[in-house]
Amino acid sequence: MAIYKTAIEKPVTTVLIFIAVIIIGIYSFIKLPIDQFPEMDPPYITVMTTYAGASASEMETNVTKVMENALTSVDHLKHITSQSKDNLSMVTLQLEWGSNMDEAVNDVRSFVDMTKNNLPDNCGTPMIFKLSTSSMPVCAYSFTADETYPGLDKILNDEVIPQLNQVDGIGNISLSGSPDRYVYVDIDQQKLDAYGLTLEQVGQVVQANNLNLSSGTIKMPQEQYQMQVRSEYIESSEIENLMVTMTPQGQQVFIRDIATVKDTIKDLTLDEKTDGRESVRLVVAKQTGANTVKVCREIYKELQKIQKQLPADVKIEQIFDSSENIQNSINSLEESIGYALLFVVLVVLFFLGKWRATIIIGITIPIALIVAFIYLGMADSSLNIISLCSLTIAIGMVVDDAIVVLENITRHVERGEDPHEASIYATNEVWVSVIATTLVLVAVFVPMTMLSGMAGIMFHELGWIVTIVCCTSTIVAISLTPMLCSKLLKAKKVHVDENGNLVEDEAEKKTWYDRSVVHALDKLDEYYAKALGWCVGHKFITLMLLLAFFVASLLPVFTGKIGTDFMQEQDNARLTVKVKLQRGTRIEETLKTARKLEGRFMQIVPCIELINTSAGSNDEATISAMFSSTMNNTIQMTIRLPRKWNREQTIWEIAETLRQEMARYPEIIEYQCTTSGFGGMGNNSVDIEIYGYDFDITSKLADQCRVLASALPGARDVKISRDDDRPDIKITIDKEKASRLGLSSAMISTYLRNRVSGMASGYLKDDGSEYDIVVRLQEKDRNSISDVLDLTIPTPAGKKIKLSEVAQIGEYWAPPTIERKARQRIVTVSVTPYKTSLGELAKQVQANVLPQLDLPIGYSVNLGGSYEDQQDTFNDLVLLAVLIILLVYIVMASQFESLRMPAIIMFSVPFAISGVIFALWIAGRSLDMVGALGVVLLIGIVVKNGIVLVDYINLMRERGYELNTAIQMSGRSRLRPVLMTAFTTILGMIPMAISAGEGAEMWQPLGIVVIGGLTVSTFLTLFIVPVLYGVMSRHGDRDKQESLRKKFIFMDLKVKKNS
Amino acid sequence: MKSVMIIFNQSNTARVEYMLDILGIKGFTFFEQVQGRGTNGGEPRRGTHAWPEMNSAVMTVVQDDQVEKLLESVRKLDLRNPEIGVRAFTWKIDEMV
Repeated sequence: MAIYKTAIEKPVTTVLIFIAVIIIGIYSFIKLPIDQFPEMDPPYITVMTTYAGASASEMETNVTKVMENALTSVDHLKHITSQSKDNLSMVTLQLEWGSNMDEAVNDVRSFVDMTKNNLPDNCGTPMIFKLSTSSMPVCAYSFTADETYPGLDKILNDEVIPQLNQVDGIGNISLSGSPDRYVYVDIDQQKLDAYGLTLEQVGQVVQANNLNLSSGTIKMPQEQYQMQVRSEYIESSEIENLMVTMTPQGQQVFIRDIATVKDTIKDLTLDEKTDGRESVRLVVAKQTGANTVKVCREIYKELQKIQKQLPADVKIEQIFDSSENIQNSINSLEESIGYALLFVVLVVLFFLGKWRATIIIGITIPIALIVAFIYLGMADSSLNIISLCSLTIAIGMVVDDAIVVLENITRHVERGEDPHEASIYATNEVWVSVIATTLVLVAVFVPMTMLSGMAGIMFHELGWIVTIVCCTSTIVAISLTPMLCSKLLKAKKVHVDENGNLVEDEAEKKTWYDRSVVHALDKLDEYYAKALGWCVGHKFITLMLLLAFFVASLLPVFTGKIGTDFMQEQDNARLTVKVKLQRGTRIEETLKTARKLEGRFMQIVPCIELINTSAGSNDEATISAMFSSTMNNTIQMTIRLPRKWNREQTIWEIAETLRQEMARYPEIIEYQCTTSGFGGMGNNSVDIEIYGYDFDITSKLADQCRVLASALPGARDVKISRDDDRPDIKITIDKEKASRLGLSSAMISTYLRNRVSGMASGYLKDDGSEYDIVVRLQEKDRNSISDVLDLTIPTPAGKKIKLSEVAQIGEYWAPPTIERKARQRIVTVSVTPYKTSLGELAKQVQANVLPQLDLPIGYSVNLGGSYEDQQDTFNDLVLLAVLIILLVYIVMASQFESLRMPAIIMFSVPFAISGVIFALWIAGRSLDMVGALGVVLLIGIVVKNGIVLVDYINLMRERGYELNTAIQMSGRSRLRPVLMTAFTTILGMIPMAISAGEGAEMWQPLGIVVIGGLTVSTFLTLFIVPVLYGVMSRHGDRDKQESLRKKFIFMDLKVKKNS
Repeated sequence: MKSVMIIFNQSNTARVEYMLDILGIKGFTFFEQVQGRGTNGGEPRRGTHAWPEMNSAVMTVVQDDQVEKLLESVRKLDLRNPEIGVRAFTWKIDEMV
């Protein structure tokens, strides 16, 4: 028994099955985590190898090259890049998006194991890192304080972090800029020399007086006691009073005589300020698979609680919270879905004019959407931008099948049939064609699940969701819809009068709806039929006009009005400013500039809510250090702005204002103001990659590129990836002299380290925490080259010499980090577009920058960055479009059992492209990855209109109508269904296209593209398809009659009578 | 004894069955899903793309006096839903076993 018949005969079962589906769906929905994008592992693996004492170029030859050669055979490798620094080599493999990372890591490990023997002997074991989403920070808070600032580290470590660690799903918590308590013993070099002491002696005294030792057991007649010497420092001031030595004159020398003891916070290397106040940044990462929104919300709640326990001057402020962005995006998409649903229902109500019918159709939408949640739950996915966008796309399509079924049933019922029987037989008539049209959609969306690369990650889920939703809607349309029709539709009411005549009930009375809407629609049908009649009569002119229209529509593309982008940047109310000062600038000087900038920024952009600044470097390798690379001469600021609906300027305008401000400072040699922040998705740049061996030549080329690129009107934030050479102080030891004095280079370097950076001399224990005690020279004895030459070094013989006696000192330029890509040295100049599109900028760079470069042999230039990703993605999408066109053609050809009909229908596709161009032009948008996807979707959506028309013309022809009559009749009859399906999809997309919510920049293009393409294509399909049908049919049909005659030739025989 | 063959759009099935019940006609043969087309404006019922609808047929053999009543009812049914369509034909039955 057919599914629709069973459904109609067993209404209880049918309803309960769907209720069960809804319950499972709601359950899945509640369980679904919320995230920004579908779970995707960034396909990066880094192999880090240390080789103590090797310079950058040695590292490159001996380690990096060996590694690269071995690792190029890793499967799915896309790019191999590397960095060679002093002592460190980092080889990064970028694999294809969507590769299995566990397999890849194993692969990498085995290759690394194989090459281990080829590495230099003193190399450390190569370490393999996999970058995972869980290592990305999800939120950051700043803790500012005044009086309690020195104790902030302890408060955070002892009170805040342990509490936060209780939050479910929380990953690593790291602090940056927290003030470490240190006890410094700053020694005066001259006094040390005067007393004949060495720094090491002082250090040993400090260490030796700071211990707890067990010193045996004392046994008494009855008891036994452990004996301990307890002599650890309780107060740092105790150190001052230690005696170091006694002079030959008998004078005791205390530490206070030669040094000052400071119990303070660690010397400045990383300075962290929020709105100019001392601050500490707390960065939180989540565990893999944890729900970002939930983790962030919990942390926020926890911090609210903690705030109350903290000293009054400690303030907690949010620097960024990725969940806010996600939550807002998801909310605005959910809103779009809500409006889309409403619009679709209103369209159905408008065209059908009956509330019962509208309910029957409307009910398919939630059921189909809920099934999508079941899929998401089973696929371990989340409610994210992609999945919700997919649902918005699907909403307009899910009603189509139900409408076809309902219309046919209504037609039967209005003829006077019983709704029950009408439902069975009317569904029987259309169910095959309903499934066939769904197959067209499946042909569009299933290939999308096979996309590779970045687009694959993004659109895999979209493909599945729309496919599943559309299939569900078909199943609903041929089971639940007929069942509901059989129950809800009312048979035409008639009764018999006293004379036995049939009297139609007063239901025929014209309602408001009949008078206005139906009347208008009838008029429209009439006009359309007339226009169509004219077109069919003037086929050549019509086709020429349409062709001219199509060519004209392409003009904006050729005149460069439509740019291309990779992904729209989002206004997420957060700016990152990076400033580079002259190399070697002292941290204190950098800070002055930072304070100046902060002040000015606040002045020129009054709406800034918060500026978090870090400057200097954090020498501890923490996770957060991986994401913020600050050096002594660099400043990094995170600026928080009000949400975009609460301010007048866009984030890009503000960024531009800040850039102009920064351009005015002579000390700033490079600055960037980026809008993308963490996550790295919205990154938008054209990278000019310069390959070549010689540093001088490539640096010169890069500089030339920078100058040329900066002159381009739409270019901002031009940045060279290679740092300038770093000025270092090099100490060359005269080995002969040193060895005569019994010194080795190793000893000298240890002594130097002790004096300049300090000698670690134990810990001061306080309240369960340990603080370093560092013995070193006071600052004024070690802050110039002559001071360093004047350092006193003890010899094993007990003599004291000056460093200048055994060593020479010189300034020199340390070579920069050596970057390589594809096993060649590379320097990258990246350019960000402003008020222009990525594609335009790349074109400009290609036209104005690259030809002017004078490339020597062996040097090459290539465009990379987001531009390359964009090109890759667009290529993928073009391939996908071709695949989809072929599949759709196959499905339609088998549906019509004709090769000609699908070709006619395919003519609606070019006009969709015209519509896309117009829509983008009017909206002033560029075509990006999401928009391009919309174009691909359009192929499937617009052909549906053509199918409806051609199918009906075929029907009319089969019923024996003359060609032109058939065309006109079909046009008149199918206008409403075509308009209805088109309007449901168009109106379903409108909330998406005009949404102004957070993250809307990303999906707006999809809405714009689909609306533009579908509107123009629907309108023109109504003419081009019938006209082409006319052009292509006449000839064939005459032949058909002739060939039929030939087939049944027996009819021409003459029968002789009486034979 | 006469045989009456009623050929009707399958949406009329329930009505035809009701009619036979009311008239007390117990025996009949039911042919489900038959194709056909009418001579005088009857839309073809072929179960094809162009003509998707289908007919069913009932053949019943009744006493001569019941024929008139049956045809009368068929006429009524046709009046009620002229678009759906029902037709009846009779012929004489010579013998039966």
